[in-house]
Amino acid sequence: MRSQWVLAKLQFRTLHRVFFLRLVDLDLLSADADLTRLIGQFAVIFCTFSFVISIPLMLMNGGTLAMTDAWMFEHFLIETTMTVAGLIVVLNWDAAFPDKRDLLVLAPLPVRKSMLFVAKVSALFAAPALAVVALNCFSGLLWPFLFRADNSGFMGMLRAIPAYWFTIFAASGFLVLTILTLQGLAANLLPRQMFLRLSAVLQAAIMCILVSVYLLEPSLESPAALTSPQNQRLLEWLPSYWFLALFNQLNGSMHPALVPLARRAWAGLAISMIGTCTALLLCYFRLMPKIVEQPDILPQARFASWSPSFGSPLTEALTLFSLRTLLRSRQHRMIFSFYLGIGITIIVGYVNTTPTGLRSAKAAISTSFLFASILMMILTVTAFRVVASIPISLPANWIFRMTQVRARWAYQKGVRFSWLTLAVAPVLLFVIAGVLAVYPWRNAIEHFGVMVCLGILLVELCLFTFPKIPFTCSYLPGKAQIHFVFWAVMMVFLRLLTGAARFEERLLSRPLSCLMAILAIAFAALGIRYLSGARGAETEEMLFEEKDPAQITMLKLS
Amino acid sequence: MTMFEVRNLHKRYLGIPALDHVSFIARPGEVTGYLGANGSGKSTTMKLATGLIEPTSGEILFAGRPINDDPMGYRQRIGYVPEEPHLYTHLSGLEYLVMVAQLRNMDRNTANSRIDGLLHLFGLHGDRDVALSSYSKGMRQKILLSAALMHNPDLILLDEPFSGLDVGSSLMFRSLINELAKRGKVVLFSSHELETVERVCSHVVILHRGKVVADDSIEHLRVLMALPTLEDIFSQLAVESDSEAVSREIADLIHA
Repeated sequence: MRSQWVLAKLQFRTLHRVFFLRLVDLDLLSADADLTRLIGQFAVIFCTFSFVISIPLMLMNGGTLAMTDAWMFEHFLIETTMTVAGLIVVLNWDAAFPDKRDLLVLAPLPVRKSMLFVAKVSALFAAPALAVVALNCFSGLLWPFLFRADNSGFMGMLRAIPAYWFTIFAASGFLVLTILTLQGLAANLLPRQMFLRLSAVLQAAIMCILVSVYLLEPSLESPAALTSPQNQRLLEWLPSYWFLALFNQLNGSMHPALVPLARRAWAGLAISMIGTCTALLLCYFRLMPKIVEQPDILPQARFASWSPSFGSPLTEALTLFSLRTLLRSRQHRMIFSFYLGIGITIIVGYVNTTPTGLRSAKAAISTSFLFASILMMILTVTAFRVVASIPISLPANWIFRMTQVRARWAYQKGVRFSWLTLAVAPVLLFVIAGVLAVYPWRNAIEHFGVMVCLGILLVELCLFTFPKIPFTCSYLPGKAQIHFVFWAVMMVFLRLLTGAARFEERLLSRPLSCLMAILAIAFAALGIRYLSGARGAETEEMLFEEKDPAQITMLKLS
Repeated sequence: MTMFEVRNLHKRYLGIPALDHVSFIARPGEVTGYLGANGSGKSTTMKLATGLIEPTSGEILFAGRPINDDPMGYRQRIGYVPEEPHLYTHLSGLEYLVMVAQLRNMDRNTANSRIDGLLHLFGLHGDRDVALSSYSKGMRQKILLSAALMHNPDLILLDEPFSGLDVGSSLMFRSLINELAKRGKVVLFSSHELETVERVCSHVVILHRGKVVADDSIEHLRVLMALPTLEDIFSQLAVESDSEAVSREIADLIHA
């Protein structure tokens, strides 16, 4: 009996570790990749965020907070934590269920289905739980002192800390469990192949909803807003406010306006827990045989394999390879849609803050439209740059090396075309459709000219820093920092962008100045293209690795 | 003459020798078997021959010219089937072959007709639009062979091409290799299946610990070593341990 328990514990530990570390796809990391370092990087980012939002605010507010201010900060912390936990689960979408590889590898071993289930689920919850702890490691200890109920003294402080942590975990758990319930329901109700196809859409939709709700959620943290009849419908759909109420209930600082929301939080938590348990158990014990027996992907319809012609065979091969990877790889699609979702959200937010919205009082292109189109161009090209640097399958790259029968410049030409087609052209279509439908044709053409040159300039900048075939290069974990740097400068960048949009608005009223600006951007693009070409001429071979791979991987045992 | 020649090839990985001054010639019209135990350096030779890795010293010549003189021209003339069927599994069989044809700069009409024909002949036409992730190992191997042959290469490098194939496909491949050799191709065929090698190859190179220990026709080796089969010759030259003794030890170990 005891030996069985020991064996089960050992199996659990082993499987839990494997499943947890697999949350980051090992195939995407280069030979030198250190998975624990990558996870550590994320933890440090979250801890830094927690520190940054805790210390200065504590100092600024002098240790006391008015009720509405306290609600605002409580809501911000709950909402942020919920969103991060939700995003982690969405990004690890497939981690909830055993895949074919798990079943084929583990089936011959003496591992029970229940053990597989427990290890998988515990690994799945470990990632958002760690993120929640890291994200609140400072704020979860400091902010509760300010959130304590009035006149509650030292005991109030002691009560606020567990209330805060319970609420944070309950809120994150609610979101995580709701997402898993939705996924489990879809897996149980739909035929497997249809589920696999729709699941990608569901994942992208949940990702967009999470990001949009976080950025667009209205501020209702006052008794008046919470009790206003016109906000009641909205509050029913905003779980972060339910958990704000729950925190105040546990903290002993309950306001009558929060009572129905707290009730909703408890109910939501219970329903999501029951839903997840049912859906996951059904998935594991009903669907596991089907996972092994049925193919994951069905043949596509014949018409779907029609491919357009893109000039030279090489250009066509590279463009179609990039397009198919972007469309079919869940991970690439997710990251791409995340950036686009952010862009759309910022645009909606920006347009809502301007009095005239996308329309202009002066029969000219509005600043909002200019802002929207420039931002979308920059974010789309940046998103493509980010996903292009993540490989689809490193071992399969040999075919590109083996078939390199042309000079490097021919590949660069093909890659450039694929970037322009997949990242720049869709934005240009959106811009031309928008400007021609609403604004005078002269301004429309001028703005279109600016956007074409801007798109080319951005692509040339990307090709200068990334002279490789998209989706074929190994991904160094340290490079992940580029994302954080990007988001860190985003706020500054948005201010600059607003200035740029206003500058362009002024330029559009002066055709000559506009032409000069277009030429300046075009010359900049040509300059970078020349530099890329000069650098590319140094070698004939295409690059696939950040650095030459070692032929033998050192185990570093000592 | 379009022969393939390996001259004094030496390759070290972090100081550890994988190939030790290997030399041999593969001629057009014959299938050269390339044999050796695991870790003897067969796959390293294949990777060097394809240009995927660089030798530490020595050179490889094709049609009398070092392959590094014109690597792109050389790549245009070789077909390679790797040991492991690594493919972009998000593409369908047809999409993969079309991509390879485009990368090889093949004429569109020629490529389409050859791909269509190869898919029919390999029995994959019905599955051409299925993602490669759903293909069996044998089906992937057929895709790799199609990709290696569709541009009509002069030099064919086969690294364990029968792995995962069913009996019927293996027999067909065997005939195909012979047919290609008859049509003047240089075929370098690396395999562990000695019976197949004995039937297909006229000439074998046997590697042991990175060194060539035999380079001759099978017939001549039989006479020279007074051994009846290639298996006996290989055991004599490249197998150090007594396989029966080792198997007895393994059985003893798991029974203990």
